[in-house]
Amino acid sequence: MLISTFILHGHLLAQVPYQRILRADREPGNWLTYGGSYRSQRYSQLSQINRDNVSQLKAAWVYQIRQAGIIETSPIVADSVMYMTEPPSTVTALDVRTGRPLWTYTPEIPKDVIVIGSPPVNRGVAILDDTVFAGNVNGHLTALDAKSGAVRWDVTVEDNKKGYYLTLAPLALDGKIIVGVSGAETGIRGFVDAYDPKTGSRLWRTFTVPAHGEAGSETWGQDSWKTGGGSTWLTGSFDPDLNLLYWGTGNPAPDWNGDERQGDNLYTCSVLALNPDNGKMKWYFQFTPHDVHDWDANETLVLFDAQLGGRERKLLAQTNRNGFYYVLDRETGEFLTGRPYAKQTWADGLDAKGRPIVRKGTDPSVEGNLVFPNIQGASNWPSASYSPQTKLFYQAAREMGTVYFKGEVPYKAGTAFTGGGGLAVNGDPAWGAVRALEATTGKIKWEFKLLSPGWTSLLSTAGGLVFAGTEEGNFFALDAENGKPLWDIQLGGAVRGIPISFAIDGKQYVAISAGYALFVFGL
Amino acid sequence: MQLGKRGVAGVVILIATTGLVQPLRSQARSDVEEGRKLFAGMCVTCHGFEGKGGDAPSLNRPKLVRAPDDAALRALIADGLPERGMPRVRRLTDNEIGELASYVRSLGQTAAVTAPGNVQQGRETYTKLGCQSCHIIKGEGSSLGSELTEIGRLRGPEYLREAVVDPGARLPRGTLPIPARGFSEFLPVVVVTREGREIRGLRINEDSFTIQVRDTANQLYSFRKADLSRIEKQSGKSLMPSFSDRLSKPELDDLIAYLSSLRGAQ
Repeated sequence: MLISTFILHGHLLAQVPYQRILRADREPGNWLTYGGSYRSQRYSQLSQINRDNVSQLKAAWVYQIRQAGIIETSPIVADSVMYMTEPPSTVTALDVRTGRPLWTYTPEIPKDVIVIGSPPVNRGVAILDDTVFAGNVNGHLTALDAKSGAVRWDVTVEDNKKGYYLTLAPLALDGKIIVGVSGAETGIRGFVDAYDPKTGSRLWRTFTVPAHGEAGSETWGQDSWKTGGGSTWLTGSFDPDLNLLYWGTGNPAPDWNGDERQGDNLYTCSVLALNPDNGKMKWYFQFTPHDVHDWDANETLVLFDAQLGGRERKLLAQTNRNGFYYVLDRETGEFLTGRPYAKQTWADGLDAKGRPIVRKGTDPSVEGNLVFPNIQGASNWPSASYSPQTKLFYQAAREMGTVYFKGEVPYKAGTAFTGGGGLAVNGDPAWGAVRALEATTGKIKWEFKLLSPGWTSLLSTAGGLVFAGTEEGNFFALDAENGKPLWDIQLGGAVRGIPISFAIDGKQYVAISAGYALFVFGL
Repeated sequence: MQLGKRGVAGVVILIATTGLVQPLRSQARSDVEEGRKLFAGMCVTCHGFEGKGGDAPSLNRPKLVRAPDDAALRALIADGLPERGMPRVRRLTDNEIGELASYVRSLGQTAAVTAPGNVQQGRETYTKLGCQSCHIIKGEGSSLGSELTEIGRLRGPEYLREAVVDPGARLPRGTLPIPARGFSEFLPVVVVTREGREIRGLRINEDSFTIQVRDTANQLYSFRKADLSRIEKQSGKSLMPSFSDRLSKPELDDLIAYLSSLRGAQ
């Protein structure tokens, strides 16, 4: 193959230059960036595993992680090496043919590390040239030599003592590594950062919450912007033609008590379109103004092009945590369409500009208030998928309500600043479904029911398949056209990993993590 | 709404230095009152009205096994007991934890007298009714129903009374690791295979593709859902018959007293 020749004879050349990631669609045997491509479609063009033979899928190898914890990694595969992450912040390189480790790197994490708002997990690495980039729960970004795992540089993105930490896979662009932070549950002030891949020096920082006097600051009561949240904890998407970087932002802080942050609380629960050269915002769209349910808008931002309103448009779609599916024009941020994809009881719909028409009496209360969707959302960090083959947007919806509570809000740096919480109505009354939505309208074409609302990411493939998992440990393949189950296996632990597909030696494989192991399946 | 009480703490200091004791008591009362509101929202579902117990233990007693002192009680409220099905409902501030702890302790001070009835008589009633044909106590009996060795520690008397009179009214949920947190335990199911064979029993476990069932003879079955024509989950029902017609009021009191006395190895 062209690429392997390039590697064998091209030691002077960088291994994964930006141009390769930009044209990831030309080498479907690799998986070079978090979402499979900058469009975050989590779609594989490989079709060797398909509707007709998926029932014969079997395990090729299994890798057991070193320390118990939740695996939420989306592996990178580049030139016969898989780079995956283990909880909380370990990076491991595996021989993709056998699963044998080649190197592993575990950063020093202080015992009193502050991780409030999620379990201590990691969702993957970025690769650029000869370097692998990973964030960690101590608030650092580290560059590792891709061949050995040796540290090239390590920088503090922001002080963990104030509650900042990193769980996301960084995004590698041309000469830039983009990261965001977690920590809104401690009242951080969120931002998106760009770093120089060679040196680790920061190139720009764009805050998601404007300071006093800046545009948007009028949407914050008093000094509430200082602790306004707006985390940026999941990997964004990129349109090289428009030169725009798309990044989702999380909840305003405190989560469930908005009394002291009157206003829309820009730019929380939004998508930001940023110029990657300087971080300047071109447009924003806020999904949930003045959120009081912790419905972050960090979920996967899927880019695709389609006919809408009589012309071909560049689109951006998201199944938002608040229960609505949105389609925006990604050049302008214009709201085009939106509709619920899961049960929701908080809004009477969206107005012409996409702003929710909020029902009265749906705020959290001291005694508790039952509202759908649940406290972790109708969707969350697990990746959606879009298939250019079926033109369907796939999402695992979480059908569950929560009794939302409002609490008190004293702020103390590095401690929980949430102002309440919730009791999810789980168990038999709750359920989930893998849903296929018509991408331009959000109309549900089919669904495959799940016993419980899971944390499964989806992978669609040119083999006409959608791969998904369950909290009960099932990993399975559905027919991408109609949702019929074609293959399943019990992996013995909740499927929280993010599926990818790759090929080596002319054979296609699918990788998924469940429980305390990463599994690779092939024909 | 700033529910914090930095201001209130200042008042307390002021009052303390002026030697007025009475307002301090009312401060404690207000803690209990605030704690009652929090309890009503977050805890009543499992621990029952005024902590009288539900499918979680009663709290209206002077000594709590897992919370012998205030530090343990505060830690338990803060973190929950996930392995026993008690979630951390939400992150509470120190102040809110203090209010909840005050309320829980106040329940113990006004503890109702223990359930009426005679433990020894209740033990005989238990045997006479044949409860051991489905329940195990300290290793004796059969295993279709829940183990009762420490049922008096796990469930309040009101819940136990309801369980004997109307067993399907409230199946325990989420207190065992299997099926999973929040799921009904001992849920009766009827499954019918594509060949028309019908199995009635209890759901033992389930995932999106399979279900495991024990029939009334305690025989285990495992099915692929694709091989079944029907799965009926009988929420609100129980395989255990109601004993309301077979027990006099004193006999029922005795049985509940006996079950409440079962507190495991202590």
